[in-house]
Amino acid sequence: MPSIPRTEPRRRTPWVGGAVALLAAALSMGLIVTHFPRAPIGPRYVGAGHEDPQPGGTFVFSAGSNIHTLDPHFAYDTLSMMACRLLYDGLLDYDYDGQMIPSLAASLPEISDEGRVFRFTLRDGIRFHNGREITADDVSWSMHRLLSQRIGSPGYPFFKSIVGAPTYHEGESDFVDGIVVLDEKTIEFHLDEPDQTFLNALAMPFAYPIPREHVEQIEREEGVDAVGRHPVGAGPFVFARWERGVQVELERFDRYWAPHARPDRMIFLENISADVASARFRNGDLDILYRPSKVNSLFLRRSEAWAPYTAEMPSATVFALGLNCELPPFDNVHVRRAVAFAIDRSKLERLDPGQVVAATQVLPPMLPPHDPELPTKQIFDLDRAKEEMRLAGFPDGLDEPITLWVRGEGEVRVAQLFQQDLKEIGIEIELKLVSFATYLKETGRPRVAQSAFTGWHQDFPDPSNFMDILFHTRSIHPENSENRSFYSNPKLDAILDRARAEMNREERLALYARANAILAADAPWVFLYYPVDMFAWQPYVKGFRPHPVWLNEYRNIWLDLPRQRVSQEIYEQEQTP
Amino acid sequence: MIRFIAQRASWGLLVVLSVITLVFFLIFVAGDPAVTVLGPQARAEQIADFNAKKGLDQPVAEQFLAYLGLMPCIRRDSPKYRREDGSRGFCGILQGDLGESYSHHESVSDVIGHRLPRTLLLASMAVFFELVIGLLAGIIAALRRNRWTDTSIMFATFVGISLPTYVTGPIALLVFAFLLGWFPFGGYGVDLLDHVYHALLPSLILAIAGAATYARVMRGELIETLRHDHVRTAVAKGMPMWQVVIKHAIRNALLPVVTLVGLSLPFLVGGAIITEKIFAWPGLGLLTIESIESLDAPVIMAVVLMFGVAVQVGNLLADIAVAALDPRIRLGD
Repeated sequence: MPSIPRTEPRRRTPWVGGAVALLAAALSMGLIVTHFPRAPIGPRYVGAGHEDPQPGGTFVFSAGSNIHTLDPHFAYDTLSMMACRLLYDGLLDYDYDGQMIPSLAASLPEISDEGRVFRFTLRDGIRFHNGREITADDVSWSMHRLLSQRIGSPGYPFFKSIVGAPTYHEGESDFVDGIVVLDEKTIEFHLDEPDQTFLNALAMPFAYPIPREHVEQIEREEGVDAVGRHPVGAGPFVFARWERGVQVELERFDRYWAPHARPDRMIFLENISADVASARFRNGDLDILYRPSKVNSLFLRRSEAWAPYTAEMPSATVFALGLNCELPPFDNVHVRRAVAFAIDRSKLERLDPGQVVAATQVLPPMLPPHDPELPTKQIFDLDRAKEEMRLAGFPDGLDEPITLWVRGEGEVRVAQLFQQDLKEIGIEIELKLVSFATYLKETGRPRVAQSAFTGWHQDFPDPSNFMDILFHTRSIHPENSENRSFYSNPKLDAILDRARAEMNREERLALYARANAILAADAPWVFLYYPVDMFAWQPYVKGFRPHPVWLNEYRNIWLDLPRQRVSQEIYEQEQTP
Repeated sequence: MIRFIAQRASWGLLVVLSVITLVFFLIFVAGDPAVTVLGPQARAEQIADFNAKKGLDQPVAEQFLAYLGLMPCIRRDSPKYRREDGSRGFCGILQGDLGESYSHHESVSDVIGHRLPRTLLLASMAVFFELVIGLLAGIIAALRRNRWTDTSIMFATFVGISLPTYVTGPIALLVFAFLLGWFPFGGYGVDLLDHVYHALLPSLILAIAGAATYARVMRGELIETLRHDHVRTAVAKGMPMWQVVIKHAIRNALLPVVTLVGLSLPFLVGGAIITEKIFAWPGLGLLTIESIESLDAPVIMAVVLMFGVAVQVGNLLADIAVAALDPRIRLGD
């Protein structure tokens, strides 16, 4: 083979330069590694030490996705609702025990006509951000906007029990007959049927009043959807600026009716992923952290330095396996019970330590009448599971495998845990992985999905919000059923209908306790777990507690400023005594 | 030239039309936007309301024609559905109406209008870094061929091409933002200077693969060009080496790089999805993921439309640029 003639003569042995470069690189790497800054192990900043609430400062918090609108009549996602909570205020609210309290209303309503009429008197000195005092007419006008078809609010179904709301919605009348303004400060709502959950609906951001003159001007100038970009409400903070997809900035409203030392400014960052938020929080750039990334929640849970500034609370959500009660074999209650007893939910708690609590019934732990000692509660008990299979007539298990619809990798992982458990009682599961959209469409049709992963998060803290919607016969439709297990039990329906109208709280809870027991025993859903939410805040952030309804309740926060930077060494000393 | 552009444009239009047709029907079979937009807890009634408002209760062929603007508007929430004189107007893309986003409660053009400039900033900074780093490295490697500088650069480009942004991105964030604190930890910032500062790290990460590719291409082309007769002649007549390289060699070697840049433009605009996600950069990429997840059909369609147009324009610009740089190439012949 002829050699290729070398055109460029070498001047030096080629490896000398390379060796020098390698050596230099190795040396500098060593220097960098030994002198590299380390991740903070405790809070970087602490408060100034004020005991009493102090006004001022800027409070920065974040969310993983976009805020969709700041128009309360369209706020139907968690983030929009969170922002609307700061900008607007409503007649009713919830305290930290989940009990209903008056907000713009002077007191809880007078209820008459066996629970059909609710009379509210407004508080004195309540104002919109434009300075105008709020009257009963404003409440009425806002409700009319919410109920109109022109606006098409997703909140309409929550309020259609008001007399005349459907005819007004259809455009057949100009007014809702059931909304009656008595005088400047008094308003009545008349319902078709007694319904205690109407008050829960009124406490949702959908019912927050907005000033007519402002809305009409914006709608005229820029269109209906522009109201969500120029919000004017009656809440503790005034809208300042919204860089879409980046952040919403709010400023303190000094004429808010409830006196409190609030931060001067609130910055609500959008599109900050859990990882980014966690790292920013640990660096002191974010004042509060909700749902840290998995690694960071494990870190925060174990950290002694962070312990006083973290809280965990089961969220008002239940995840479950929905069993289609119309399709065999789950039309047989014993097979459903067998599945409920066969599943070892403690595996989940081991898989995600601290992030889930095993579920025993439909109602999450903080929602009465949740009962930890419920006699019919669903627990892991293999002997009872086998006994139920025998009662069902399948002592040796099922011949055909069961199809389980799952919506994503996370659910596949969970389902695989239970495949083993169900094999013990002779049930094979085949997983069917579908997109979220397909899942929603198909599981809402009768006789399609044999079983599916499912769950529910409360719209408002009332047992009816779980039971009526998920298990009442009324919620079965040919398409888009809310009752996706197609469970129909006249006895349960009767109890739920009575409870909905019952005015006495104790009686109501007793009825829902019965319904709760029936649902656990009949097992249209096999309850799996309640997720646990984690919160962490900087030491200088005061007045925060996880709220049972709003989760992130930032209305009562104050900042202990100026914050002081502390050396990380103090934590190292603590950790090595 | 004009004939060439017209020909290419009409082909491009046809491609874009086929793409949006395909995507429209794909979205239609993917599921029911109402249930995804309103969430798993939507009541049957809310879903029916939503479908009526958006015209989703009409036959799919009508939906498509109305979307294109060949049929009167079927979206009841559009001001054109019932105009002031009572007649029904058109509200399709032919009329420049991209519709209203399902989840964002504002018009699609507003939604995209907010995010496009951010993605363009990120993409243009990335292209800048790709070119500066890639070309410099390629030229140095070519001039120092087979020496250790060349070997290290080529090794680095090999690593750069192999490492995806979902590996380099988080590492860069951890080291330079979290531990060292030199860069902000993701986000977008508040004013232009701040935006540029926030874009530095993500655009550098985004530029790695491109820079590595350009360096390799540039090196190869330059070595090839340096062997050409006109270069040898220039050296022979006593021209300084740096002048020869700049004036005679680089210009020729640039041609394939220019084509590559043109072809990569649409991918920088649409393909920064992962980088935007990692760095919490609120641009089109994040919007795209979000709209696909929530089946926000009008936004998905608009993004696809834009992406399709960007690919066509990118290709066309690359061809024109090459013709401008190389007098031997005549377009349209």
